[in-house]
Amino acid sequence: MRWAWVLCGCLCMAGGVWAEDEDSRGSLVRVRASIQPYDQFRPWQKKSPYGLNGTGVVLPGGKVLATAALVANRTEVGLEKPGSAEKCAAEVEAIDYEANLALLQPVDRNFLKGFSGVLLGPALRAGDKTEVWQLEKNGEMLRNQAEILSAGVGRYPSDEAGFLVYGVRVSLPKRDDSYTLPLMKDGQLAGMMMGYDRDSQEGTAIPVPMIEHFLKDASDGKYEGFPTLGVSWSPLRDPNLREEVLAPKSGGLLLTRVNPRGTAGRAGLREGDILISVDGFKLDEDGNYRDPLYGPTAVGNLIRTRPTVGSPAKFRISRGGKEMEITGTYDRKAREEVAIPTLQFDQAPKYLVVGGLVFQELTGAYLQEWGDKWSERAPQRLVEYFTFQQDKRPDPEKKVVFLSQVLPSPITLGYQQLSGLVLLQLNGQEIKSLAELAKVVDSCASGNLVFEFRDEPGKLILNAGELPASSEKIGKDYGLRELRRL
Amino acid sequence: MKRPNLKSLLIFLLPLLGGCGKGDWQLGEAKKNVVMVEVTSQTWDYRLPWNPGTVSSARGAGFVIDRKRILTNAHVVSGARYLTVQREADPRKYQGKVLFVAHDCDLALLEVDDSEFFSGTSDLPIGGIPELESVVSVYGFPIGGDRLTVTRGVVSRIDYNSYTHSGRESHLAIQIDAAINPGNSGGPVMQNDKVVGVAFQGFRGDVAQNVGYMIPTPVIRRFLKDVEDGKYDHYVDIAIRWMALENPAMRSYYHRPNDGLGVVVTDIFAEGSSDGVLEKGDVLLSIDGYAIESDGSVRLDGQPVQLEEIVERKFAGDTVELEVWRNQKLEKKQITLRPAEMFSMYENLYEEPPRYVLYGGLVFQPLTANLMAGLVSGADLRLRQTYTLFGQDQLYKETPEPVILTTVLPDRSNVYLAGLTGQVVREINGKRIRTLADVLPALELGGERSVIRFEGDQRPAVLKKKEVDQVMPRIMTQYGITQPNRTELGNRRLAKGSYQQEGESR
Repeated sequence: MRWAWVLCGCLCMAGGVWAEDEDSRGSLVRVRASIQPYDQFRPWQKKSPYGLNGTGVVLPGGKVLATAALVANRTEVGLEKPGSAEKCAAEVEAIDYEANLALLQPVDRNFLKGFSGVLLGPALRAGDKTEVWQLEKNGEMLRNQAEILSAGVGRYPSDEAGFLVYGVRVSLPKRDDSYTLPLMKDGQLAGMMMGYDRDSQEGTAIPVPMIEHFLKDASDGKYEGFPTLGVSWSPLRDPNLREEVLAPKSGGLLLTRVNPRGTAGRAGLREGDILISVDGFKLDEDGNYRDPLYGPTAVGNLIRTRPTVGSPAKFRISRGGKEMEITGTYDRKAREEVAIPTLQFDQAPKYLVVGGLVFQELTGAYLQEWGDKWSERAPQRLVEYFTFQQDKRPDPEKKVVFLSQVLPSPITLGYQQLSGLVLLQLNGQEIKSLAELAKVVDSCASGNLVFEFRDEPGKLILNAGELPASSEKIGKDYGLRELRRL
Repeated sequence: MKRPNLKSLLIFLLPLLGGCGKGDWQLGEAKKNVVMVEVTSQTWDYRLPWNPGTVSSARGAGFVIDRKRILTNAHVVSGARYLTVQREADPRKYQGKVLFVAHDCDLALLEVDDSEFFSGTSDLPIGGIPELESVVSVYGFPIGGDRLTVTRGVVSRIDYNSYTHSGRESHLAIQIDAAINPGNSGGPVMQNDKVVGVAFQGFRGDVAQNVGYMIPTPVIRRFLKDVEDGKYDHYVDIAIRWMALENPAMRSYYHRPNDGLGVVVTDIFAEGSSDGVLEKGDVLLSIDGYAIESDGSVRLDGQPVQLEEIVERKFAGDTVELEVWRNQKLEKKQITLRPAEMFSMYENLYEEPPRYVLYGGLVFQPLTANLMAGLVSGADLRLRQTYTLFGQDQLYKETPEPVILTTVLPDRSNVYLAGLTGQVVREINGKRIRTLADVLPALELGGERSVIRFEGDQRPAVLKKKEVDQVMPRIMTQYGITQPNRTELGNRRLAKGSYQQEGESR
């Protein structure tokens, strides 16, 4: 998990103070997660397991808030009381990888009985004094003084667009259970720490407005997530550009791409439109609106944190010099209805082994398996499909099936070196998913299987009659219990 | 199938120090013919394409081949502004000049005006391909001293290899285990009184030991023959991709018996030699009468070599005869060979000055291997993909020479455009940009503003023409730019592209 910043404090001196006051009791719980991601390069197996230890926040009612990164790809999650080492397994009730938040529920509903829980505090602004709480071994609370450096839209570990984030200055000593920590203000929750750099002693925290949105969404048992607009845009500061696109006198941003499936696209916004205001909030030339609390803030926060999925959206745009109102409904289809999913946690990768040819469906998770420089190291055709999928794959049902590797066997003689090839057709039939590929393969008892790929060498041939015996042998030789997961 | 060679290189060119050789002949003979080549060269700076470039000096080797010309590596003399040659045990340095340079096979011929220089040299005979495991001697002036140095080794391998100087070419190369080090470049490799190769590249010591490469005599002979008409032409290319026909199911699909012969054509590059003659799915059975094994090799002088070797030894306009199995019938095809100009983007450029257009602080440059190498950090993903897929996807048919906005030289007139560097230009003032030559005329089109649009979802760059005219002198003065553009292509040729049928797309 390359994006999970472990809070490794090391030799920092404790800048905190001891506290035993009442309001810190019954507020925190240790979260122990056992993590085991799937191996995207060997999709039939998982990688070696490891543990992550964080500190969760007990909410009134006995549920526990943690970051999603702490429990991503989990096999087991447990809670442990700070003072007593009493343990209880927990279930994940809601999780949002983009917003990096997870809501846990102890299996024994009475486990946290007696915990008073923490209330959500107000949103903070730059300059506010806060605390980051840590647990000592004996269950005592270590309160580290902290300061909010910034509040604005920034990157989250598993999100592409940006959410509200606090920059926090704090000196954190090295303690167990620090993978996630609560940011507190006057005994109330102000945020969840999700990253920390011990050299600069600066970290990032998920602010309370995000947490509120998440909890509200999760409260009805049906988690929907944060809406997205589904556009790319450019600031409109450049007076030459403003003239060219017939921009209004002031404000507005230029839509340079509109995903037809997204909130904006479904409402009827188009490439080249100038977005002047959203839900009555005027946008300036840099794409900021004036937030009552934070001042000028990127439009992303306006669209993603404030409304919920299903709520009405109101846009004022200028098109060809004419201003108009357009209404729509906030959703996140631009993120969900995609041929190549960008995020994939907790999900077993699909695969199909055909006589030694290993086929997979392209996902962001597969590409990320190539490491930090995946966009340079992964097969370039796959990177191209992934990065420019909006241009190339308007149909979200049309998955990208590709040959990921070849397990050498007698029937794949001469094919061993091939990998990263996008499959277009099998026996003349267009292949839109791994399941479809399996169906066509299964329907062929004899004759040739003619695989047609996007790139060189174009065609590969297998003899369907030889498949059953060969598959059995491959399963045995390579120790694969299952030759497919669809 | 010469693939565009995009490998980043573990192989280094033997930089400059020198080389010469001895076999079972007299060292005195070698001494007579081996020369030290000292070169002061200039390397263009693709980030500042108007500048004449950085000057550096280095040393390599060469040898007199016919009492009047010196053979050396292209990479020893590329970009040479001043070069001197000096014979072993003669303190005099003579000024030499480059007669021909062939960057694609890393060879060059030098001449010296003062014929005195050649007195006492002999005709060095050029031999054949040495046997595996036979002993060869390498002569040169490698690192560690200034005098002629001889090392010995055996022939370890004879195979195709990439020629790193060109960046994209692969030719026959011979691997030897004699110590070859920086400064051996251009030196002769000798066996039985004959030249059997020119030392040219090796691996860095931390990558592999005792692996050096020499350019074998078929490549040398081809070069010498090519320049007989007074100019050097590029290598020709069959411009196809093929796949070994080893798999039994594949063989039966193509109706070929299990005789271990034939390869299947998997791609034909438009505008290449085979365009319109071969088809995907053709099984190639023989080339110029040489049977093609199922791994793509042919037996040449008893040695298995890739089938391209047949093409390698030919020249533009020559033909090859192919026996092709198509639709279960044997057909004879003739291919007239020509260079693969569409891949010239992948070729490192040396003599040709960088081309560019400056417009109000915006610098437009064509996409080239040099440009990619000059990009400081990772290029924009779309730019990188355009480069990587240019040949494979035959993007040259639409855009023979993608144009990039490489730099925005900060000026008060373009403060909002800085974020657009690295973008691929799609059109200017409504005109599709297919080569750098399109840029200047397109900038004249339209009304009072110039609108430059890019591939992908970037905003356009908009400039007022009047303002650009006003600020150009200021920008040129401030940034020390001597000429506003350089667009002549020189001798190089681009792909023609298949877009010329009227009706511009988009």
